Amino acid sequence: MLKKFASVRFILSLGLILSIIFAAYNAYYKIKYWGFNITPKKMTDVWTIETHISFEPTGEPIKVSIASLSSSKEFKILDENIIAPGYKTKKQKKDGDNRLILTTSAKNEPQDIYYRVLLFDNEDGKGKMTAPVPPAPQKPVLDEQRTAIAQELIVQAEKLQGDMPQKFIRLLNQTPPNSTVQSFFPVRKTQQDIAEALSSLLSIKGVPNRIVKGIKLEEDKKSFNPDFMLEAYTGSRWKLYNIKTAQVGMPEDFIILQRGNAALLDVEGGENSSVKFSVLKSISSSFNLAGKRAKLADQKASFEFSIFNLPLLEQNTLKWLMIFPLAILVIVLMRNVIGIQTMGTFTPMLLSMALVKTGFWPGLICFTVIIGIGLIIRAMLSKLNLLLVPRISAVVIFVILIMQVMTICGYRFSLEIASSAVFFPIIIMAWIIERASITWEEDGPINAGKEVFNSTLVAIITYFIISSEYIRHIMFAFNELNLVILFIVMLLGTYTGYRLTELKRFKPLAKD
Amino acid sequence: MFGKLFSSYASPSSLKKAGVLGMNSRNYNFISKYNRRDLYPLVDDKVQTKILANKIGINTPGLIGVIEYQHQVDNILNIVKDYKEFVIKPAHGSGGKGVLVIKGYTPDAFTKASGEVLSYNEIYQHISNILSGLYSLGGKYDVAVIEELVHFSNIFKDYSFQGIPDVRVIVYKGFPALAMMRLATKMSGGRANLHQGAVGVGLDISTGSALKAVMRNVPIHLHPDTHAELNKIQVPNWREHLEIGAKAYEMTGLGYLGADIVLDADRGPMMLELNARPGLAIQIANGIGLAGVLKNIDDTYPSGLTAQQRVDFVLGKKS
Ligand SMILES: Nc1ncnc2c1ncn2[C@@H]1O[C@H](COP(=O)(O)OP(=O)(O)O)[C@@H](O)[C@H]1O
Ligand SMILES: [Mg+2]
Repeated sequence: MLKKFASVRFILSLGLILSIIFAAYNAYYKIKYWGFNITPKKMTDVWTIETHISFEPTGEPIKVSIASLSSSKEFKILDENIIAPGYKTKKQKKDGDNRLILTTSAKNEPQDIYYRVLLFDNEDGKGKMTAPVPPAPQKPVLDEQRTAIAQELIVQAEKLQGDMPQKFIRLLNQTPPNSTVQSFFPVRKTQQDIAEALSSLLSIKGVPNRIVKGIKLEEDKKSFNPDFMLEAYTGSRWKLYNIKTAQVGMPEDFIILQRGNAALLDVEGGENSSVKFSVLKSISSSFNLAGKRAKLADQKASFEFSIFNLPLLEQNTLKWLMIFPLAILVIVLMRNVIGIQTMGTFTPMLLSMALVKTGFWPGLICFTVIIGIGLIIRAMLSKLNLLLVPRISAVVIFVILIMQVMTICGYRFSLEIASSAVFFPIIIMAWIIERASITWEEDGPINAGKEVFNSTLVAIITYFIISSEYIRHIMFAFNELNLVILFIVMLLGTYTGYRLTELKRFKPLAKD
Repeated sequence: MFGKLFSSYASPSSLKKAGVLGMNSRNYNFISKYNRRDLYPLVDDKVQTKILANKIGINTPGLIGVIEYQHQVDNILNIVKDYKEFVIKPAHGSGGKGVLVIKGYTPDAFTKASGEVLSYNEIYQHISNILSGLYSLGGKYDVAVIEELVHFSNIFKDYSFQGIPDVRVIVYKGFPALAMMRLATKMSGGRANLHQGAVGVGLDISTGSALKAVMRNVPIHLHPDTHAELNKIQVPNWREHLEIGAKAYEMTGLGYLGADIVLDADRGPMMLELNARPGLAIQIANGIGLAGVLKNIDDTYPSGLTAQQRVDFVLGKKS
């Protein structure tokens, strides 16, 4: 018997240790790769990028193809929506280029399509995206004259400093431009012209490159064109170049819209098309984003099975559930280690949940009022000598009525306190009233008060635990902890030591 | 202030030294180990307990009848027609809840032990309440047991306020381990429940004489209401008390149980009920830690004895 007992504890302890290791590893992994924080980071920037496409239909069936945003190293897509009534939408991924395809039948009026994307900084991405080695670039097709100019430019560029792309960028951006440069461009050169020229020059030199279109995220930018940058594959990796300053690397708050030379927007069955972007900055609780953030941060299959891969609604439900094991642990501790007797095991837990919804003081006051009125009514009911089931049912109905009156009064007199009444679980309230009134009749009001007080006390302690943003964050983000809690609870099931209250109760027996 | 707070708590080691049994240890090391769950109904259901007790030869108040369904409630007068007095109680009750002691009656007036008179309707209501589970654990539907009245021996009359004293014996592996007498007080409302303020008198397990007395954890010498000297208590027919406890082990198969025994003036000690989860207050009444006693039984008591031999063994331990 003793052996069996020892082995149960041994197995549970082993389970506890393993679960701690497992949880620790997962926490490490999540912090390192999914970018989870130990503390709930309060706020995160969320950018809304709106793409406004407009064109005039030619009377043929319409097909619009627009480069769409995809998650990058720096930014993740939180949400996107398309306002294009009557259009069928489809996403397409071709050669690492994401496009949004919208199709519809022929139209006559000018068309406006809005494509909105919510982004937030992907501080968790941490260099997870690697690109494959690109093939050698195709030589550009230039006429003889331009080829000659290009050769001249290449010679000139050699004298400048920096790596190959930088040399070209510096050359093309010289102020004032030399005549060779000027002759290579139209009179007024645009960003696009420069980018294309750079691309051609690099291709002649055999450097794989691609034009990058992106958006600099700045607060409240309206109706602008995308910025051009250039990516070149040098030193066996892709590097991003600012085509004006020759600076290498991703600028801050910059999101890449499209890589490659394809057009940003293609419209079949439309003309005079234009695409304009707007940016709006907002902030959101980063805890709300944690799941999305994590989901987007990792490409691994392991993620598919994690909570964070679920829709937000389910996540929120689970976030709520994830806190329960801890609450249960607290109640087990209260009962089996401290030795506080409560009315039923889970009454305090349900009460504390209600307190979370109502807020602490309003909830507590409301609870006291409901129980108080309930007890008075129950005392009157007991004079009627009703049978048990109808009597409890009557108490339930009274509780509902009390809640109703409180809510209405609360609304009428704008007392927030009273209107929180509805959040208390009706059956639990009725049951507390019933239990307390029986104890009252049998053991007197003091014992009844004690019972209610104990349950409320445990509920309050539980409340402070489950309402802590910090603890909730931890329990949700590092949900493996629940496994640890499971083993602690089971180990507590083998705890045979004294309860704290017994140290007092049995004090007269103590021997020193 | 903290010092005072602190001094009202004992250190775990000092309790361990005194062999005090805590709730967790009781549940884990004794109840869950020695009391099989499927045996609980034998003691939780007073009808079953009674039937078993009769089989094995333990004295209990005679069963007059059982009311199982609401439509039988009106039978009550018919059921008790041969009796001048009777007791109605829920089969699954605890703590004396729902026990109605009727000392005498006419078809529409029932006199309680306290002298209060109830109408037929009130009796009807009471039985209905029992059936609906009002007094039962978890509020489950229950049945009403109607049994003969115990005529309490007058010996302890001076020791109890209103209610009836009973003897609780803790029986471990069939050996009576600890015993106490519970005496009702004004504070306990005439009930013999320690947590309600009844007096607990620890009894020497081998003699049945008082060791010490406590009320609400505080040692006392005189009964608070009757002022009788508590240390003078000597339970008569002690051997028979122990026999009931010892036989209850064979009867139920429970390795750790509490037997509640009352002394009938004519029929001697009678078992009122058994408990598969007896409380721990008995330690305070005795000033003796239960864990130490149980360990001693584990370590030094012989096994394979009959109930009589176990009682002999315990009686022979006279100190
Ligand atoms: N047959 C009886 N005759 C007289 N009094 C009784 C009888 N049965 C119970 N009582 C009284 O009711 C109390 C509680 O009865 P008991 O059978 O122990 O029920 P419970 O399980 O609720 O404790 C007893 O202590 C005793 O005072
Ligand atoms: Mg009893």
